[in-house]
Amino acid sequence: MSLALPRRTFVKSVAVGGVTLLVPFHLLVRPYPDADGTGASAFAPNAWLEISANDQVRIWCGKSEMGQGVRTSLPMIVAEELCCDWRSVQVVQADLQPKYGEQLTGGSLSVRTSYANLRKAGAAAREMLLSAAAAEWGVDQKECHAALGEVLHANSQRHLGYGRLVARAAKLTPSPDPPLKLPSQFTLIGHPTPRTDTQLKVSGQANFGLDVRVPGMLIACVDRCPVFGGSVRSTNAEEVKKIQGVRGVLDLKSVHLTHHFGDESGPGSRNYTCAGVAVLADSTWGAMQARKKLKIEWDEGPSAQESTASLREQFQKLVAAPGAVMRNDGNFEKAFASSAKKIEAVYEVPFLAHATMEPMNCTAHVHDGKCEIWAPTQIPGAAANSVAQALGIPRENIQLHVTFLGGGFGRRLIQDYVVEAALISRDAGAPVQVVWSREDDVRHDFYRPASYHVLRAGLDASGQIVAWFHRGASPSIGAFYNGTGISPQGAAEMNGPDFPAFGVPNLRTEFALAQSGMPVGYWRSVENSGNQFVISSFFDEVAFGAQRDPVELRLAVLGPARKISLGSDGTIDVGRGRHVIEVAAEKAGWGTPLPKGTGRGIAAHVGYGSYVAQVAEVVCDASRGILRVQRVICAIDCGQAINPSGVQAQMEGAINFGLAAALKSAITVEHGRVQQSNFHDYEVLRMNDSPPAIEVHVISSSEPPGGCGEPGVPPIAPAVANAVFAATGRRIRRLPVRSADWTKA
Amino acid sequence: MATTFILNGKSQTVDVSPDMPLLWVLRDTLDKTGTKFGCGAGLCGACTVHINGEAARSCQTPISAIAGKKVTTIEGLSVNGLHPVQQAWIAEDVPQCGYCQSGQIMSAVALLAKKPNPTDADIDDFMSGNICRCGTYQRIRKAIHRAAGTPAGQAKSA
Repeated sequence: MSLALPRRTFVKSVAVGGVTLLVPFHLLVRPYPDADGTGASAFAPNAWLEISANDQVRIWCGKSEMGQGVRTSLPMIVAEELCCDWRSVQVVQADLQPKYGEQLTGGSLSVRTSYANLRKAGAAAREMLLSAAAAEWGVDQKECHAALGEVLHANSQRHLGYGRLVARAAKLTPSPDPPLKLPSQFTLIGHPTPRTDTQLKVSGQANFGLDVRVPGMLIACVDRCPVFGGSVRSTNAEEVKKIQGVRGVLDLKSVHLTHHFGDESGPGSRNYTCAGVAVLADSTWGAMQARKKLKIEWDEGPSAQESTASLREQFQKLVAAPGAVMRNDGNFEKAFASSAKKIEAVYEVPFLAHATMEPMNCTAHVHDGKCEIWAPTQIPGAAANSVAQALGIPRENIQLHVTFLGGGFGRRLIQDYVVEAALISRDAGAPVQVVWSREDDVRHDFYRPASYHVLRAGLDASGQIVAWFHRGASPSIGAFYNGTGISPQGAAEMNGPDFPAFGVPNLRTEFALAQSGMPVGYWRSVENSGNQFVISSFFDEVAFGAQRDPVELRLAVLGPARKISLGSDGTIDVGRGRHVIEVAAEKAGWGTPLPKGTGRGIAAHVGYGSYVAQVAEVVCDASRGILRVQRVICAIDCGQAINPSGVQAQMEGAINFGLAAALKSAITVEHGRVQQSNFHDYEVLRMNDSPPAIEVHVISSSEPPGGCGEPGVPPIAPAVANAVFAATGRRIRRLPVRSADWTKA
Repeated sequence: MATTFILNGKSQTVDVSPDMPLLWVLRDTLDKTGTKFGCGAGLCGACTVHINGEAARSCQTPISAIAGKKVTTIEGLSVNGLHPVQQAWIAEDVPQCGYCQSGQIMSAVALLAKKPNPTDADIDDFMSGNICRCGTYQRIRKAIHRAAGTPAGQAKSA
């Protein structure tokens, strides 16, 4: 009996990008784009997988890889049901094509929305291979078993590798509803699995947007109006064109943006004016240097009147008047008026930039009525739609390749930089890579909106919360894209069902829409990033006011384990919400003594199909004004975890990301201009401010998978703020935390 | 103007403006895109390379300062991708988006060359010039300790 399977060889010599590597076989991943032809003998029953006669398995990833690990988790789902040898899988990034379905990557939705389809894809292929083997051997398919890339027939002890079966299998028809494994049968899903792209990323071989090289490519750097909505009045374009190495100076008027998520009023879109002047050169340095010679007079437009101070004034007026009602349970006014104790506070958070490590960029080649794009984008479909509209060409004429993304966090859900590249390429008559400087990136972001909140809570004599009121004011992402074509509730950057809804009998939540010229967009966990700081911090204030332990009070308000239906918005499983709080508190040693100046704070969030609780332990040295987060304990229940190692990484990452907002970052505006420009004034978290210990407890179950990209962000800022209060007695009501807010008054 | 230097063990001569930063000579002139552009101001560390064995921010180093020197980039860290620090990074599953990681690894290699058994305080001091927005700092620390052969639990903190 011959076993002609290419079993794992320990080390394989591979030429990758011109460099020969000796790579342990199980780490072998071909860089994008994949140059291998597949040949006529490949078995490709659906868009997601392909098996060749030599046992090579290729699995396509249809979502953008921005660090969240979809190039590992999504192929794992296919491979699990396919029963192939995971070590022989090669992951290929999907181009924009209809067969991959929705390729928008965001909202912590990739696993949740792909799970069922990818399982079916893998299972259907497996069933065809089982059929093929059964036919080959003349046995009943029920006696055949697939595992590790081969089919076995136990009764006769025969086995065949998938490669030997592909020709026969390719003639069969895939079932639309194949049998799926039971979770108890999973060998891959739910097991910690190393990422598939690590080899590329530790050797400098992962190709990000900025690494794209197209023959004849020009580089463009763009000076954009520093005031949002402004336009060019005059330039010294003719002078700059004469600089050696400059290949053109072009006007950039406005780009069309599609709000892909839409809302009940339908998808919104707008022409977003980011007027500017593009300088094209043969090299990046050449373009950057030549751009510095531009002298542009701007028509600044009305946003030149806007400032952080003027917006704050607007916020204060807005929260003093009724807003759009998001939720109204019982009678807040009456219950509050008759409360034994009343607590009121104002909270605020600033605009935030995304500050992905890879600045915005895109490469486009417009020629012969077609456009080819290489983009680090989270939204290839809407980007192609926007480009088609901007160029006036059919959508089918656009080819879009998705590169690795050097961070996304929601910034790359906006297609501005993709459309820019297409317009500049068209006008230049050449392939163009538009490169944003860090200053461009900080100053022309689509910011997490600043917001301002007033909250009131009423306690009865026994320390129960009987009344809760929250009115928030901010610019709105929905309104930015949809203008007046969106309901006030649709525009709201708040959620009615947010805690402590369902736990306080008289609760009202309102939203007031602020007018602002600032471009706004999705920033990892979106409205929850600011709102949960506000809600969980105010809740902690209320607990202190009631002289009750925050964990005890939180669990009391959550109430008994039960399921609360939110209709089409899903279900809140209170038991799971309670459990993550209990786990985080227990692992943190909640209630055990801490040295003076050290405090613990807790916060939790339900969202994205997952349940998260975090306890932060913070050391506050008031004499030096230094705060150090020394430990974070995080419990996450994400239902069926696909890759627990990836879930852990997402929690660690989200906590560090949220800590930057808690401790460091703020975008401020003066005369309609963002004041920050680079990492010296837009500070983010560095190693020395990152907690020495982040302990993540992943609670996995066979509940449907929940999202993991965003849920780790909302709890960290309030957990830290609450810990600061516990350590110092000073309440943090605005972010980022300033030492003056908690050191000697 | 022609500048000759050693890149990853091989002599290179480039004919570019003397003020062009080494970062862009590497990425555009020599097509070595493993070294990344993050800020152009020496603030983020994504562009970290070794110049004569020392960690340096290539975005702040004009090519004129490189004449006759030895430059090592991420591509040249090892012949076969198996430098102990890269192996430690793989074992600890460090990278997420990966964009900062070339710089992180080059800084870590330089740190270990100076301090073969760094404390957590040494790591904080040396590595805080390298920003990671994905937040892989805990795994970077573990990987550095692993590469140093010092288990994280036994590492001395300041």
